[in-house]
Amino acid sequence: MTEAEHKKDLHVDEAEKLIPLVLEIIPGHAAEGLISVYEPGRYEGESLRGLCERILNKTNLSIEEQLILEDISRQLEGGKLFCRGQEISGTALEFAVSEKTEAGEKYFYVPVRAIKPQEGGIFSSGPE
Amino acid sequence: MRRLLDSELELFVESDFIYLPLLLDPSIEKETQSLFQSGSPGKNTAQPESKTIIKHNTRHFVKTIKVHSLLDSYKAINAHHYNRLRDDCLRKYRLTQGADGIFVDETLKKILFLILPHFVRNNKNLRRRKLAEEEVLDFIAERIDIPQKYHEDALAFLDLEPLHEILRGLEDRKPVLKPPGEGLQPASKLRAWFHEAIQAKVLADERYRVKKALQVRQQLSREKPEHIAIFLYIADMGSIEIDGFGFSRMKFPKEYLIYKRTGEYVLRDYYGRSYLFPDCRVAVSTYTPSRPFVVEKYKHPFLRGYQANQEICMKAIEVANEPTASNIIRILEEGITALLYGYDARRRNGYHSLDKTFVYIPTIAFEEYRI
Repeated sequence: MTEAEHKKDLHVDEAEKLIPLVLEIIPGHAAEGLISVYEPGRYEGESLRGLCERILNKTNLSIEEQLILEDISRQLEGGKLFCRGQEISGTALEFAVSEKTEAGEKYFYVPVRAIKPQEGGIFSSGPE
Repeated sequence: MRRLLDSELELFVESDFIYLPLLLDPSIEKETQSLFQSGSPGKNTAQPESKTIIKHNTRHFVKTIKVHSLLDSYKAINAHHYNRLRDDCLRKYRLTQGADGIFVDETLKKILFLILPHFVRNNKNLRRRKLAEEEVLDFIAERIDIPQKYHEDALAFLDLEPLHEILRGLEDRKPVLKPPGEGLQPASKLRAWFHEAIQAKVLADERYRVKKALQVRQQLSREKPEHIAIFLYIADMGSIEIDGFGFSRMKFPKEYLIYKRTGEYVLRDYYGRSYLFPDCRVAVSTYTPSRPFVVEKYKHPFLRGYQANQEICMKAIEVANEPTASNIIRILEEGITALLYGYDARRRNGYHSLDKTFVYIPTIAFEEYRI
Protein backbone atom coordinates (compact mmCIF):
# COMPACT_ATOMS: atom_id res chain seq x y z
CA MET A 1 0.00 0.00 0.00
CA THR A 2 1.44 3.37 -1.00
CA GLU A 3 1.52 6.25 1.46
CA ALA A 4 -1.23 8.02 -0.49
CA GLU A 5 -3.49 4.93 -0.36
CA HIS A 6 -2.83 4.57 3.37
CA LYS A 7 -3.86 8.23 3.97
CA LYS A 8 -6.98 7.73 1.83
CA ASP A 9 -7.97 4.69 3.91
CA LEU A 10 -7.60 6.61 7.14
CA HIS A 11 -9.81 9.35 5.69
CA VAL A 12 -12.49 6.81 4.74
CA ASP A 13 -12.36 5.28 8.21
CA GLU A 14 -12.89 8.72 9.71
CA ALA A 15 -15.87 9.39 7.46
CA GLU A 16 -17.45 6.05 8.19
CA LYS A 17 -17.07 6.34 11.93
CA LEU A 18 -20.44 6.39 13.59
CA ILE A 19 -21.30 9.92 14.59
CA PRO A 20 -24.56 11.53 15.65
CA LEU A 21 -26.92 13.21 13.21
CA VAL A 22 -28.33 16.67 13.88
CA LEU A 23 -31.47 17.29 11.87
CA GLU A 24 -33.00 20.76 11.77
CA ILE A 25 -36.35 21.65 10.21
CA ILE A 26 -36.41 25.37 9.46
CA PRO A 27 -39.61 27.24 8.60
CA GLY A 28 -39.31 29.26 5.37
CA HIS A 29 -36.11 31.28 5.24
CA ALA A 30 -35.68 31.66 8.98
CA ALA A 31 -32.25 31.20 10.50
CA GLU A 32 -33.22 28.64 13.09
CA GLY A 33 -35.62 25.74 13.29
CA LEU A 34 -36.57 22.70 15.31
CA ILE A 35 -33.60 20.51 16.06
CA SER A 36 -33.32 16.85 16.91
CA VAL A 37 -30.20 14.82 17.58
CA TYR A 38 -30.12 11.15 16.55
CA GLU A 39 -27.46 8.95 18.07
CA PRO A 40 -25.55 6.55 15.79
CA GLY A 41 -27.64 3.50 14.99
CA ARG A 42 -30.94 5.36 15.35
CA TYR A 43 -31.10 7.09 11.97
CA GLU A 44 -29.22 5.05 9.37
CA GLY A 45 -32.08 2.75 8.46
CA GLU A 46 -34.74 5.40 8.28
CA SER A 47 -35.65 7.77 5.45
CA LEU A 48 -35.05 11.51 5.85
CA ARG A 49 -38.79 12.09 5.57
CA GLY A 50 -39.41 9.61 8.38
CA LEU A 51 -36.89 11.39 10.62
CA CYS A 52 -38.53 14.74 9.81
CA GLU A 53 -41.94 13.36 10.74
CA ARG A 54 -40.52 12.21 14.05
CA ILE A 55 -39.49 15.80 14.80
CA LEU A 56 -42.80 17.22 13.66
CA ASN A 57 -44.68 14.81 15.92
CA LYS A 58 -42.72 15.78 19.02
CA THR A 59 -44.91 16.84 21.92
CA ASN A 60 -42.64 18.02 24.74
CA LEU A 61 -41.76 21.35 23.16
CA SER A 62 -40.87 24.63 24.81
CA ILE A 63 -42.97 27.70 24.00
CA GLU A 64 -40.33 28.94 21.54
CA GLU A 65 -40.22 25.53 19.85
CA GLN A 66 -44.02 25.46 19.65
CA LEU A 67 -43.94 28.79 17.82
CA ILE A 68 -41.39 27.41 15.37
CA LEU A 69 -43.55 24.30 14.87
CA GLU A 70 -46.58 26.50 14.14
CA ASP A 71 -44.51 28.34 11.56
CA ILE A 72 -43.42 25.06 9.98
CA SER A 73 -47.02 23.81 9.92
CA ARG A 74 -48.15 27.02 8.20
CA GLN A 75 -45.48 26.52 5.54
CA LEU A 76 -46.42 22.88 5.09
CA GLU A 77 -50.07 23.73 4.35
CA GLY A 78 -49.56 23.19 0.63
CA GLY A 79 -45.81 23.32 1.05
CA LYS A 80 -42.94 20.83 0.95
CA LEU A 81 -39.75 19.92 2.75
CA PHE A 82 -36.61 20.87 0.85
CA CYS A 83 -32.98 20.11 1.53
CA ARG A 84 -30.16 21.76 -0.39
CA GLY A 85 -32.55 23.09 -3.02
CA GLN A 86 -34.39 19.85 -3.74
CA GLU A 87 -37.39 18.06 -2.32
CA ILE A 88 -36.32 15.56 0.32
CA SER A 89 -36.03 11.90 -0.54
CA GLY A 90 -33.72 9.02 0.39
CA THR A 91 -31.72 8.96 3.59
CA ALA A 92 -30.40 11.74 5.76
CA LEU A 93 -26.79 10.79 5.03
CA GLU A 94 -27.31 11.65 1.35
CA PHE A 95 -27.79 15.29 2.40
CA ALA A 96 -25.49 15.40 5.42
CA VAL A 97 -22.39 17.49 5.87
CA SER A 98 -19.88 16.84 8.59
CA GLU A 99 -19.53 19.60 11.18
CA LYS A 100 -17.81 20.01 14.53
CA THR A 101 -19.05 21.31 17.86
CA GLU A 102 -17.05 23.97 19.71
CA ALA A 103 -15.59 21.11 21.74
CA GLY A 104 -14.37 19.50 18.52
CA GLU A 105 -16.87 16.61 18.43
CA LYS A 106 -17.93 15.64 14.93
CA TYR A 107 -21.56 15.27 13.85
CA PHE A 108 -23.58 15.11 10.65
CA TYR A 109 -25.84 18.09 10.00
CA VAL A 110 -28.88 18.12 7.74
CA PRO A 111 -30.87 21.34 7.37
CA VAL A 112 -34.37 20.85 5.97
CA ARG A 113 -36.55 23.81 5.00
CA ALA A 114 -40.34 23.80 5.10
CA ILE A 115 -41.36 25.96 2.15
CA LYS A 116 -44.78 26.87 0.88
CA PRO A 117 -44.15 27.56 -2.81
CA GLN A 118 -44.86 31.01 -4.12
CA GLU A 119 -45.89 30.45 -7.70
CA GLY A 120 -45.92 34.04 -8.84
CA GLY A 121 -48.49 35.27 -11.26
CA ILE A 122 -49.95 38.50 -9.98
CA PHE A 123 -48.35 41.84 -10.55
CA SER A 124 -49.87 45.20 -9.69
CA SER A 125 -50.08 46.19 -13.38
CA GLY A 126 -51.28 42.70 -14.39
CA PRO A 127 -48.65 40.94 -16.50
CA GLU A 128 -50.48 37.67 -16.94
CA MET B 1 -17.58 90.75 7.31
CA ARG B 2 -16.39 87.16 7.44
CA ARG B 3 -13.41 88.12 5.28
CA LEU B 4 -12.46 90.81 7.80
CA LEU B 5 -12.65 88.32 10.67
CA ASP B 6 -10.56 85.87 8.66
CA SER B 7 -7.97 88.55 7.84
CA GLU B 8 -4.71 89.31 9.63
CA LEU B 9 -5.79 92.86 10.47
CA GLU B 10 -5.79 94.31 13.95
CA LEU B 11 -9.24 95.48 14.99
CA PHE B 12 -10.34 97.67 17.81
CA VAL B 13 -13.38 96.86 19.94
CA GLU B 14 -15.04 99.51 22.03
CA SER B 15 -18.56 99.86 23.46
CA ASP B 16 -19.67 96.71 21.61
CA PHE B 17 -18.57 98.13 18.25
CA ILE B 18 -15.91 96.86 15.91
CA TYR B 19 -13.56 99.55 14.65
CA LEU B 20 -11.54 98.94 11.52
CA PRO B 21 -8.21 100.63 10.64
CA LEU B 22 -8.91 103.84 8.81
CA LEU B 23 -7.47 104.07 5.32
CA LEU B 24 -4.82 106.69 5.20
CA ASP B 25 -5.21 108.72 2.12
CA PRO B 26 -4.05 112.36 2.44
CA SER B 27 -7.53 113.88 2.19
CA ILE B 28 -8.92 111.53 4.86
CA GLU B 29 -5.94 112.23 7.07
CA LYS B 30 -6.53 115.99 6.76
CA GLU B 31 -10.23 115.53 7.53
CA THR B 32 -9.44 113.41 10.56
CA GLN B 33 -6.93 115.89 11.90
CA SER B 34 -9.45 118.72 11.65
CA LEU B 35 -12.04 116.56 13.47
CA PHE B 36 -9.65 115.87 16.34
CA GLN B 37 -8.57 119.53 16.48
CA SER B 38 -12.22 120.59 16.83
CA GLY B 39 -12.47 118.17 19.76
CA SER B 40 -15.46 116.17 18.46
CA PRO B 41 -14.14 113.25 16.37
CA GLY B 42 -17.43 112.19 14.89
CA LYS B 43 -19.65 112.28 17.93
CA ASN B 44 -22.76 110.17 17.45
CA THR B 45 -25.90 111.84 18.71
CA ALA B 46 -27.81 108.55 18.93
CA GLN B 47 -25.02 106.77 20.80
CA PRO B 48 -22.97 109.46 22.52
CA GLU B 49 -20.84 106.87 24.32
CA SER B 50 -19.28 105.64 21.07
CA LYS B 51 -17.23 107.68 18.65
CA THR B 52 -17.12 107.32 14.90
CA ILE B 53 -13.36 107.59 14.79
CA ILE B 54 -10.98 106.73 17.55
CA LYS B 55 -7.24 107.15 17.83
CA HIS B 56 -5.07 104.47 19.34
CA ASN B 57 -1.40 105.40 19.63
CA THR B 58 -0.75 106.84 16.19
CA ARG B 59 -3.44 104.85 14.37
CA HIS B 60 -7.00 105.77 13.56
CA PHE B 61 -9.93 103.37 13.56
CA VAL B 62 -13.37 103.90 12.10
CA LYS B 63 -16.56 102.57 13.63
CA THR B 64 -18.28 99.81 11.63
CA ILE B 65 -20.73 97.29 13.00
CA LYS B 66 -22.10 96.46 16.42
CA VAL B 67 -20.78 93.11 17.59
CA HIS B 68 -24.12 91.86 18.92
CA SER B 69 -26.01 93.01 15.83
CA LEU B 70 -23.63 90.93 13.78
CA LEU B 71 -24.19 88.01 16.12
CA ASP B 72 -27.98 88.31 16.02
CA SER B 73 -28.19 88.75 12.26
CA TYR B 74 -25.46 86.35 11.21
CA LYS B 75 -27.97 83.65 10.25
CA ALA B 76 -29.41 86.03 7.64
CA ILE B 77 -26.09 87.60 6.62
CA ASN B 78 -24.26 84.34 5.92
CA ALA B 79 -26.64 81.41 6.21
CA HIS B 80 -24.15 78.90 4.82
CA HIS B 81 -21.44 79.70 7.36
CA TYR B 82 -23.95 79.98 10.20
CA ASN B 83 -25.29 76.52 9.40
CA ARG B 84 -21.77 75.12 9.32
CA LEU B 85 -21.02 76.57 12.74
CA ARG B 86 -24.39 75.32 13.99
CA ASP B 87 -23.75 71.79 12.71
CA ASP B 88 -20.26 71.78 14.27
CA CYS B 89 -21.76 72.82 17.58
CA LEU B 90 -24.53 70.20 17.50
CA ARG B 91 -22.02 67.53 16.53
CA LYS B 92 -19.74 68.54 19.39
CA TYR B 93 -22.48 67.72 21.89
CA ARG B 94 -23.85 64.80 19.80
CA LEU B 95 -27.05 66.79 19.41
CA THR B 96 -27.59 66.04 15.74
CA GLN B 97 -31.11 64.90 14.93
CA GLY B 98 -29.95 61.39 14.04
CA ALA B 99 -27.96 60.77 17.22
CA ASP B 100 -30.79 61.12 19.72
CA GLY B 101 -33.61 60.27 17.34
CA ILE B 102 -32.13 56.85 16.66
CA PHE B 103 -32.79 55.73 20.25
CA VAL B 104 -36.50 56.43 19.94
CA ASP B 105 -36.80 55.03 16.41
CA GLU B 106 -39.39 52.29 16.84
CA THR B 107 -38.96 51.01 13.28
CA LEU B 108 -35.25 50.47 13.86
CA LYS B 109 -35.96 48.65 17.13
CA LYS B 110 -38.43 46.42 15.30
CA ILE B 111 -35.77 45.58 12.70
CA LEU B 112 -33.01 44.94 15.24
CA PHE B 113 -34.94 43.04 17.87
CA LEU B 114 -37.65 41.22 15.91
CA ILE B 115 -36.71 40.90 12.23
CA LEU B 116 -32.93 40.43 12.41
CA PRO B 117 -33.08 37.53 14.91
CA HIS B 118 -35.50 35.74 12.58
CA PHE B 119 -33.08 35.77 9.65
CA VAL B 120 -29.72 35.55 11.39
CA ARG B 121 -28.57 32.50 13.32
CA ASN B 122 -27.46 33.78 16.67
CA ASN B 123 -26.74 30.71 18.74
CA LYS B 124 -25.13 27.36 18.28
CA ASN B 125 -27.13 25.63 20.99
CA LEU B 126 -29.84 23.11 20.37
CA ARG B 127 -32.13 25.01 22.71
CA ARG B 128 -34.37 27.55 21.01
CA ARG B 129 -35.26 30.72 22.86
CA LYS B 130 -36.03 34.33 22.08
CA LEU B 131 -33.08 36.62 22.71
CA ALA B 132 -33.49 39.62 24.97
CA GLU B 133 -32.73 43.02 23.43
CA GLU B 134 -29.41 43.19 25.29
CA GLU B 135 -28.41 39.81 23.92
CA VAL B 136 -29.26 40.88 20.37
CA LEU B 137 -27.07 43.96 20.79
CA ASP B 138 -24.26 41.83 22.25
CA PHE B 139 -24.56 39.58 19.20
CA ILE B 140 -24.47 42.56 16.80
CA ALA B 141 -21.45 44.00 18.64
CA GLU B 142 -19.68 40.66 18.16
CA ARG B 143 -20.49 40.46 14.46
CA ILE B 144 -19.97 44.04 13.30
CA ASP B 145 -16.66 45.80 13.50
CA ILE B 146 -17.73 49.16 14.88
CA PRO B 147 -14.91 51.72 14.39
CA GLN B 148 -13.24 53.04 17.55
CA LYS B 149 -14.63 56.52 16.86
CA TYR B 150 -18.16 55.34 17.71
CA HIS B 151 -17.00 53.77 20.98
CA GLU B 152 -15.42 57.10 21.95
CA ASP B 153 -18.59 58.90 20.86
CA ALA B 154 -20.65 56.53 22.99
CA LEU B 155 -18.65 57.41 26.10
CA ALA B 156 -19.04 61.13 25.36
CA PHE B 157 -22.73 60.55 24.66
CA LEU B 158 -23.24 58.99 28.07
CA ASP B 159 -21.46 61.86 29.84
CA LEU B 160 -24.41 64.05 30.76
CA GLU B 161 -22.46 66.79 32.55
CA PRO B 162 -21.85 69.08 29.51
CA LEU B 163 -25.56 69.10 28.68
CA HIS B 164 -26.48 69.65 32.33
CA GLU B 165 -24.13 72.61 32.37
CA ILE B 166 -25.65 74.13 29.23
CA LEU B 167 -29.16 73.73 30.62
CA ARG B 168 -28.21 75.16 34.00
CA GLY B 169 -26.72 78.19 32.25
CA LEU B 170 -29.85 78.65 30.14
CA GLU B 171 -32.19 78.24 33.07
CA ASP B 172 -30.26 80.68 35.29
CA ARG B 173 -30.49 83.18 32.42
CA LYS B 174 -26.77 83.76 32.65
CA PRO B 175 -25.32 85.56 29.64
CA VAL B 176 -24.44 82.88 27.13
CA LEU B 177 -20.97 84.27 26.70
CA LYS B 178 -18.84 87.11 28.07
CA PRO B 179 -18.63 90.11 25.70
CA PRO B 180 -15.48 90.33 23.60
CA GLY B 181 -12.50 91.99 25.20
CA GLU B 182 -12.19 95.72 24.51
CA GLY B 183 -9.24 97.42 22.85
CA LEU B 184 -6.89 96.50 20.08
CA GLN B 185 -6.84 92.86 19.14
CA PRO B 186 -6.01 90.64 16.19
CA ALA B 187 -8.95 89.65 13.96
CA SER B 188 -8.25 86.00 14.78
CA LYS B 189 -9.02 86.60 18.46
CA LEU B 190 -12.32 88.29 17.64
CA ARG B 191 -13.10 85.48 15.18
CA ALA B 192 -12.57 82.85 17.87
CA TRP B 193 -14.85 84.75 20.23
CA PHE B 194 -17.42 85.14 17.47
CA HIS B 195 -17.49 81.39 16.74
CA GLU B 196 -17.94 80.62 20.43
CA ALA B 197 -20.71 83.19 20.64
CA ILE B 198 -22.51 81.64 17.68
CA GLN B 199 -22.28 78.22 19.34
CA ALA B 200 -23.66 79.61 22.59
CA LYS B 201 -26.49 81.20 20.63
CA VAL B 202 -27.20 77.92 18.85
CA LEU B 203 -27.42 76.10 22.17
CA ALA B 204 -29.77 78.77 23.54
CA ASP B 205 -31.94 78.47 20.41
CA GLU B 206 -31.87 74.66 20.68
CA ARG B 207 -32.83 74.63 24.33
CA TYR B 208 -35.75 72.26 23.69
CA ARG B 209 -33.47 69.86 21.84
CA VAL B 210 -30.88 69.95 24.63
CA LYS B 211 -33.60 69.20 27.18
CA LYS B 212 -34.99 66.33 25.12
CA ALA B 213 -31.51 64.92 24.47
CA LEU B 214 -30.80 64.97 28.17
CA GLN B 215 -34.01 63.06 28.89
CA VAL B 216 -33.16 60.41 26.28
CA ARG B 217 -29.59 60.06 27.54
CA GLN B 218 -30.67 59.81 31.16
CA GLN B 219 -32.77 56.79 30.16
CA LEU B 220 -29.75 55.29 28.40
CA SER B 221 -27.37 55.85 31.27
CA ARG B 222 -27.39 52.17 32.25
CA GLU B 223 -26.79 50.89 28.73
CA LYS B 224 -23.45 49.41 27.80
CA PRO B 225 -21.29 51.87 25.81
CA GLU B 226 -20.80 49.22 23.08
CA HIS B 227 -24.58 49.10 22.60
CA ILE B 228 -24.75 52.89 22.34
CA ALA B 229 -21.88 52.71 19.81
CA ILE B 230 -24.03 50.41 17.60
CA PHE B 231 -26.85 52.95 17.49
CA LEU B 232 -24.47 55.86 16.84
CA TYR B 233 -22.88 53.84 14.04
CA ILE B 234 -26.29 53.17 12.49
CA ALA B 235 -27.28 56.84 12.91
CA ASP B 236 -24.15 57.81 11.00
CA MET B 237 -23.81 55.04 8.39
CA GLY B 238 -27.52 54.27 7.98
CA SER B 239 -27.04 50.56 7.38
CA ILE B 240 -25.66 47.27 8.62
CA GLU B 241 -25.52 43.74 7.21
CA ILE B 242 -24.99 40.45 9.05
CA ASP B 243 -24.99 37.05 7.35
CA GLY B 244 -26.86 38.29 4.30
CA PHE B 245 -29.52 40.14 6.25
CA GLY B 246 -29.32 43.90 6.27
CA PHE B 247 -31.11 47.19 6.16
CA SER B 248 -30.39 50.72 5.05
CA ARG B 249 -32.05 53.98 5.94
CA MET B 250 -34.16 55.62 3.25
CA LYS B 251 -34.55 59.32 2.51
CA PHE B 252 -37.73 59.52 4.59
CA PRO B 253 -37.06 59.78 8.32
CA LYS B 254 -37.38 56.51 10.24
CA GLU B 255 -38.04 54.49 7.09
CA TYR B 256 -35.79 51.62 6.07
CA LEU B 257 -35.12 49.24 3.25
CA ILE B 258 -34.86 45.75 4.73
CA TYR B 259 -33.29 42.99 2.67
CA LYS B 260 -32.12 39.40 2.73
CA ARG B 261 -29.61 37.99 0.30
CA THR B 262 -30.62 34.87 -1.59
CA GLY B 263 -27.11 33.52 -2.11
CA GLU B 264 -26.47 31.60 -5.33
CA TYR B 265 -29.19 29.13 -6.28
CA VAL B 266 -30.05 26.75 -9.08
CA LEU B 267 -33.25 26.51 -11.16
CA ARG B 268 -33.99 23.80 -13.70
CA ASP B 269 -35.63 24.16 -17.09
CA TYR B 270 -38.09 21.88 -18.90
CA TYR B 271 -35.26 19.60 -20.04
CA GLY B 272 -33.73 19.28 -16.57
CA ARG B 273 -30.81 21.57 -17.37
CA SER B 274 -29.52 23.63 -14.44
CA TYR B 275 -29.10 27.40 -14.31
CA LEU B 276 -26.99 29.00 -11.60
CA PHE B 277 -28.47 32.33 -10.54
CA PRO B 278 -26.24 34.90 -8.83
CA ASP B 279 -26.87 36.26 -5.37
CA CYS B 280 -29.29 39.17 -5.06
CA ARG B 281 -30.99 41.17 -2.34
CA VAL B 282 -34.73 40.70 -1.94
CA ALA B 283 -36.00 43.80 -0.17
CA VAL B 284 -39.08 45.49 1.20
CA SER B 285 -39.39 49.06 2.32
CA THR B 286 -41.05 49.90 5.62
CA TYR B 287 -42.74 52.76 3.77
CA THR B 288 -44.64 50.51 1.35
CA PRO B 289 -44.08 46.99 2.65
CA SER B 290 -46.63 45.14 0.54
CA ARG B 291 -44.42 44.08 -2.39
CA PRO B 292 -40.92 42.63 -2.31
CA PHE B 293 -38.44 43.61 -5.00
CA VAL B 294 -34.90 42.80 -6.11
CA VAL B 295 -32.44 45.59 -5.40
CA GLU B 296 -29.78 44.73 -7.98
CA LYS B 297 -29.96 44.77 -11.76
CA TYR B 298 -31.23 41.23 -12.11
CA LYS B 299 -33.06 38.85 -14.40
CA HIS B 300 -35.30 35.97 -13.42
CA PRO B 301 -38.45 34.34 -14.83
CA PHE B 302 -40.43 36.25 -12.16
CA LEU B 303 -39.00 39.67 -13.02
CA ARG B 304 -40.35 41.63 -15.95
CA GLY B 305 -37.06 43.02 -17.28
CA TYR B 306 -33.35 43.12 -16.64
CA GLN B 307 -32.90 46.11 -14.40
CA ALA B 308 -32.62 47.19 -10.76
CA ASN B 309 -35.45 47.58 -8.23
CA GLN B 310 -37.96 45.30 -9.95
CA GLU B 311 -41.01 44.02 -8.09
CA ILE B 312 -41.23 40.25 -7.96
CA CYS B 313 -44.22 38.78 -9.73
CA MET B 314 -46.11 36.96 -6.96
CA LYS B 315 -49.38 35.43 -6.00
CA ALA B 316 -51.24 37.85 -3.71
CA ILE B 317 -50.21 37.56 -0.06
CA GLU B 318 -52.87 37.90 2.58
CA VAL B 319 -51.14 40.38 4.85
CA ALA B 320 -52.16 43.85 5.86
CA ASN B 321 -50.19 46.71 4.38
CA GLU B 322 -48.81 47.57 7.81
CA PRO B 323 -45.09 47.41 8.42
CA THR B 324 -45.32 45.09 11.42
CA ALA B 325 -42.35 42.79 12.03
CA SER B 326 -44.34 39.67 11.16
CA ASN B 327 -45.66 41.21 7.92
CA ILE B 328 -42.19 42.26 6.83
CA ILE B 329 -40.77 38.82 7.61
CA ARG B 330 -43.62 37.15 5.74
CA ILE B 331 -43.30 39.37 2.66
CA LEU B 332 -39.50 39.02 2.50
CA GLU B 333 -39.84 35.24 2.80
CA GLU B 334 -42.47 35.10 0.07
CA GLY B 335 -40.19 37.11 -2.22
CA ILE B 336 -37.23 34.80 -1.62
CA THR B 337 -39.41 31.71 -2.01
CA ALA B 338 -40.73 33.05 -5.32
CA LEU B 339 -37.19 33.40 -6.69
CA LEU B 340 -35.77 30.15 -5.28
CA TYR B 341 -38.74 27.78 -5.42
CA GLY B 342 -41.43 29.48 -7.51
CA TYR B 343 -40.44 28.61 -11.05
CA ASP B 344 -42.05 25.44 -12.37
CA ALA B 345 -40.09 24.02 -15.31
CA ARG B 346 -43.14 22.18 -16.68
CA ARG B 347 -45.54 25.11 -16.47
CA ARG B 348 -42.91 27.72 -17.34
CA ASN B 349 -44.72 30.16 -15.06
CA GLY B 350 -43.63 33.79 -14.66
CA TYR B 351 -42.81 36.36 -17.34
CA HIS B 352 -40.07 34.32 -19.00
CA SER B 353 -39.15 30.72 -19.65
CA LEU B 354 -35.67 29.44 -18.82
CA ASP B 355 -35.54 27.43 -22.06
CA LYS B 356 -36.58 28.73 -25.47
CA THR B 357 -40.14 27.73 -26.31
CA PHE B 358 -41.34 26.54 -29.73
CA VAL B 359 -43.20 29.77 -30.35
CA TYR B 360 -40.39 32.28 -30.39
CA ILE B 361 -41.19 35.39 -28.41
CA PRO B 362 -38.29 37.77 -27.82
CA THR B 363 -37.73 37.69 -24.10
CA ILE B 364 -34.99 37.70 -21.48
CA ALA B 365 -32.43 34.94 -22.11
CA PHE B 366 -30.85 32.87 -19.35
CA GLU B 367 -28.32 30.85 -21.37
CA GLU B 368 -25.34 32.50 -19.67
CA TYR B 369 -26.50 31.06 -16.33
CA ARG B 370 -26.68 27.48 -17.63
CA ILE B 371 -24.24 25.07 -15.95
